[in-house]
Amino acid sequence: MGYEWEFGLVFKYWDVLFDGFLGTLRVGIVSLILGAIGGLILALMRMSRYRLLSWPAIVLIEFFRTTPLLIQLFWIYFALPVVIGITFGAYAACIITLSVNSAAFFAEIFRAGINSMERSQWEGGKALGMSQSTLMRRIILPQAVRRMVPPFLERSFELMKGTTNVSAIAYADLLYRALELSARLYRPIEILTLVALVFFVMLTLTSMLVRFMEARLDAARL
Amino acid sequence: MDEFRWDFSVVFEYQANLYRGLGVTFELSIIIILASMVGGIIIGAGRYSKNRLFNWPATAYIELFRNTPVLIQIVWFYYAFPVLIGIQMEGFYAALIGIGLNMIAYSADIVRGGIQSIEKGQWEAAKAIGMNYFSVMRRVILPQALRRMIPPFTSRTVEAVKATSLASTIAVAELLYEGQVLANTVYRPFELYTAIAVLYFFATYPLVLFSYWLERRLAIDSEMRL
Repeated sequence: MGYEWEFGLVFKYWDVLFDGFLGTLRVGIVSLILGAIGGLILALMRMSRYRLLSWPAIVLIEFFRTTPLLIQLFWIYFALPVVIGITFGAYAACIITLSVNSAAFFAEIFRAGINSMERSQWEGGKALGMSQSTLMRRIILPQAVRRMVPPFLERSFELMKGTTNVSAIAYADLLYRALELSARLYRPIEILTLVALVFFVMLTLTSMLVRFMEARLDAARL
Repeated sequence: MDEFRWDFSVVFEYQANLYRGLGVTFELSIIIILASMVGGIIIGAGRYSKNRLFNWPATAYIELFRNTPVLIQIVWFYYAFPVLIGIQMEGFYAALIGIGLNMIAYSADIVRGGIQSIEKGQWEAAKAIGMNYFSVMRRVILPQALRRMIPPFTSRTVEAVKATSLASTIAVAELLYEGQVLANTVYRPFELYTAIAVLYFFATYPLVLFSYWLERRLAIDSEMRL
């Protein structure tokens, strides 16, 4: 049997989908920035010698990494307000959940990057009489950051894909708008394929751009 | 507002529903993990192959499924695919296909990465003593590559279990969906969502601990060989 593709109707309502795409970007970019800052704080807490700081960080990181994002979102949107007596809007709940979730993953990436540095680097710096913070800033971090870039990007991509979860609490992201529109026009194939393509193009172009920039950076370094 | 009072008894009262949901979660997870092992090796071999006839379709498949959200894949197989082929599709199968194909793509990349990580010298040495391609693969490369594939594959299985929760969005009665239905009927969202999060934690954390243990063990082993 032949299915007749009909993209014309979909393009007529492009503004609905574009509005959803902006929603996706709004959630994704804000969570990425907050998640990176939060991840840095969590990583420093986790590496601290004080258990009062490191233990809560460990529990938070492990819990947010091993439970599904969707249950975290439901928990923060539906469950937490009952206890603390403050209700969040859908957007706030999405930002909180995605930021904390990605902060947990980013924290482990930062920590692994710093831990991956050889002991001799620390010893060499100390032998030259550098203080702990100078050593960190001038020797360890510049090298460690280079190693953190690939896993950091991979996680950012996971975050962008994870934003589709927010449609489950009716935040108007691209997927939510698409499902709404496909129920109205009854054109699920065209609309959902288009949405998948939007993500595919966005992520593929970003990763190509990043690879290009990395190559340029490496070339400049030599 | 009134002070909130915990009442976790509701969780125990309805525990049969939660266990039923957990059963479906496990069912989905196990089928997906097994499929991703088999599919990952097949597609991964295609991705590794130098023959374009195998390499290009495998690469396209992996890139497509890794660069789109798994939730869209599930929803696509639930709403779009049945219209395209003209059959009804139950949510359970749509979730199975969507998450399964996604996991296969990631596993294939793990397989390819594992084989590629084995130094070229190994190939050359094995060929020099007269082994053919398949014996080199089976007796020299794969035994070493498999060890390197196990840790990333273990963390992928955690992702698979987590991803099954997305099936709740198309009304598959797995753990999260059962919990959602209960939370809406008995209006105890805090207790129920907390209980579900804890159940997911207990379902995945053994796998996480296993991966930590593996990492330590493999690290020690490789050090000892030096």
